Amino acid sequence: MGRVPTRVLTIREPRLWFALAVGDIPQVGAGDHLGVDDPLAIRLRHPAVAEAALHGPVAPEPGRRFEAGEALAGHGRNAIRFEGNGSVLYRTSSGRVRAAVSRHQDSLLSPVGGTIEIVEASGIQLRAEGNGLRGVMALGEPSHGRLLVAVEGPEAELRASQVDVSQAGSILLAGSRVDVEALTRARAMGVHGMITGGMIGKDLRDLAASLARQEAALHASPPFALLVMDGYGKRPIPELVWECLVEAAGRDVAISIDPPAAILDAGQTIPSRHPDHVRLVSAEGNGRTGRVLELAGLRRRAGGIPMECARVALTPLVQGDEAEIVEVPLADLERDV
Amino acid sequence: MTDPSPAFFTVDAGGATTAAALIGRLAGRWRLLAAGAVPASIATDVLLADLVGRVNAADDDLLAEAGPWQQWARVESRTAPPPSVLLAATSEARLQELELTFGDAGWRVVLRVTPDHLAPLTVARVLLDRHLTVVAIAAGDPVEQGERAGLADLSAFIGSFAMRRPELRVVLVGGAVSEEASLPPAQILRARSPAVVAEGDEGSLASLVERLRLETVAGNASDRTQAGGDVPGPPAEAGPAGDGRVGFQRAVASLAAVLDLRIEGVDIGLDGGTHVLAGPMGIERRAIRADAGLVPLDALDDERWLDQIAGWTTVHEDGFALRDRIRNLRLAPWRDAAGDGSLLRVGAARAALDRLGRGWAGPREEDAAASGAAGSGAPDLLVLSGGAFAVAPAPVVALTVLDTLRHPGGVALALDHARVLAPLGTLGDEADRRRILTDLADDLLAPLGSAIVAGGLRGGRRGTLRLTSEGGTSVLPLVAGSVQVVDLPPGIAATAQLESADDLWVGVHARSVAIDVVGGLGGLLVDTRETPLRLPDRAERRRQLLESWERPLWIGGDW
Repeated sequence: MGRVPTRVLTIREPRLWFALAVGDIPQVGAGDHLGVDDPLAIRLRHPAVAEAALHGPVAPEPGRRFEAGEALAGHGRNAIRFEGNGSVLYRTSSGRVRAAVSRHQDSLLSPVGGTIEIVEASGIQLRAEGNGLRGVMALGEPSHGRLLVAVEGPEAELRASQVDVSQAGSILLAGSRVDVEALTRARAMGVHGMITGGMIGKDLRDLAASLARQEAALHASPPFALLVMDGYGKRPIPELVWECLVEAAGRDVAISIDPPAAILDAGQTIPSRHPDHVRLVSAEGNGRTGRVLELAGLRRRAGGIPMECARVALTPLVQGDEAEIVEVPLADLERDV
Repeated sequence: MTDPSPAFFTVDAGGATTAAALIGRLAGRWRLLAAGAVPASIATDVLLADLVGRVNAADDDLLAEAGPWQQWARVESRTAPPPSVLLAATSEARLQELELTFGDAGWRVVLRVTPDHLAPLTVARVLLDRHLTVVAIAAGDPVEQGERAGLADLSAFIGSFAMRRPELRVVLVGGAVSEEASLPPAQILRARSPAVVAEGDEGSLASLVERLRLETVAGNASDRTQAGGDVPGPPAEAGPAGDGRVGFQRAVASLAAVLDLRIEGVDIGLDGGTHVLAGPMGIERRAIRADAGLVPLDALDDERWLDQIAGWTTVHEDGFALRDRIRNLRLAPWRDAAGDGSLLRVGAARAALDRLGRGWAGPREEDAAASGAAGSGAPDLLVLSGGAFAVAPAPVVALTVLDTLRHPGGVALALDHARVLAPLGTLGDEADRRRILTDLADDLLAPLGSAIVAGGLRGGRRGTLRLTSEGGTSVLPLVAGSVQVVDLPPGIAATAQLESADDLWVGVHARSVAIDVVGGLGGLLVDTRETPLRLPDRAERRRQLLESWERPLWIGGDW
């Protein structure tokens, strides 16, 4: 069984990274203990570059943060001031000061409790309390909410009609795919996040553009995160990941962007399977599970290429049916550890 | 390795798969006993145990006196994702010089900045990205009057972020050192402009960036800064043991010396491609390209990459679905390798070879060709390496090379099927490496066959190919714009006589030319298509044309 590729199901106390942008002000220090929704940093919303002429030899330090109207250098009418809050970028060779400025700011909140390990210009690292279920990509902002199972099973697709206002503030567990209409509707309804097995690349691109537009909007919206567990296109949520998430239904679950992961309560039971239990990850039969009977050695596959295969007894789709025995390349199997 | 045990392993840990080989001493010489590859998530010991088990199953006496396999030596190489660099320069021309040097040394260029195109918030976002490890600033040496203001602005801006990121290193190139007061002293590295110092000379940018890459991927970057932050001395013969890309280049050079041939080596990995041309006297030219990986990381977000890869595949799929399959190939490259998954891999490998070839055929190649210097001209042997080539039959692998790295004339093709070269290249002792390669050369190179690229035949005109070997002579027509496969088994040497009423271009113009060829698993491929290959712009016509060349070479292609 050692030759079947593995997927690490959970990471205990995962380290989450919150990237900081120019002008963001950390509100925490290394060693601080945070609870859910405690502020990590104050962020400039949609900053722009502003510049002002220096009227003397003294220039403000690059990186210095300032409040709107604060005198940064010089005195009286000659003092450098900007109309918004921001951060000094640099002094140009022509004697001007450039700064990142915004009239609006908001708080970056921790989606999960934990301990701050690193605070630096690039970002903040938090050791989260709980277990992380690793995904393959995430988009949006870190968020959390009560987990709701919105589809019947891991292969189902979440339709826009299945999203309604009662799900506001929650994280929706979608199935194998979410389309862009369902995503748009979910965000409009105040849903905080979605977890899906797969996502069409084009829909992902549309979502990224929409999130960027929202960031530029005047009014802040609640954070929204999309977590993809397996890959691009339509892909069922892996069986054990699905079971973990169904077990977490009704409880608070966070979505981390870096690394892409769902953070579950530390006390939650993590299901397991017999070591010979595997999942098919190839295009054909993707998501089906079974039990490895034996290694079958090299077998010539379509295209004439020999590959190491295993004989697998697939779990019947209908209870009571006989198990289907198939030969599958080892590389198209996966087991959770 | 100077006091060898009876057996040892080579391990090449790549981004997608781990390949290992078991090499043992038989009748006084090293032989390749077993080899295999597994997805990177599988423990190496599982693979090694399997190799030992396979050998023992065939002959349980062979390794009986070698002791427990867990104690055998392991020669390991590893390839890591490319480090990221931001390039800034006072002009586009200086920026291109920087890009050429960093691009050939395996760096991923995440942003290019000149004073005329300085978008502060975009640059700030990149400077605050924790994955960015190096920034390079270049200016003329001496700094020209028109550059001064722009250089000062670039240095002041970048310096303001370098102060807040003590782990970030700033390479000042040429006249940019005049602005070092704007930057934290401990983070500065200095190099002379590539325009005035040759690669490999003391203080050259090329030497510095190669060392920086090795340090960065090895995770010991802080040592350089603490050592005074100046340009290191002349490059050592190679980087620290363990880097698979440098290892592959060194091993190809050793192989060239052992076989007394001019060898071109090409390795395509998930995160980058390695290219080297070496002769018996050593390496003539080399490059490591972050953009020549099977599916580069940037392809996940940038559809231009996906379209470039899709343009080289023969998979029947609509555009969006094909893009998603390519993205999934990046996420889990070992999955779905059977059926048309192998077509997808071959297409991605061909696209990677195309990018690798374009980087190789840049201004330096043109200079070399113009001066007749080393680096130009066809090699005697082209050695391929990389997991992507393991899922296609030999003629198809040979065709991927002919489609992209087109050398007029004849060349022998071989595959480093056990991925032994990169690990052997990490051996510190050149004599050790040559001794092992002398023994192993026949085992480690799977002969794909030979290829002849002969342009110049006009449409509708024909020529003749007369193939003479110890088995006799066969005569075949040469058809313009085609790829023909001639059966020529491994171990058979032959002479191919090409004749035409038109001038054929085989490195020289001739109406009659004789080329020595050797047989292989793919036989002899005779390619009379144009160089460079011209393909239709329309995706469907392009795919059909590629398929018309590739499909006949698949055996049992019933997907």
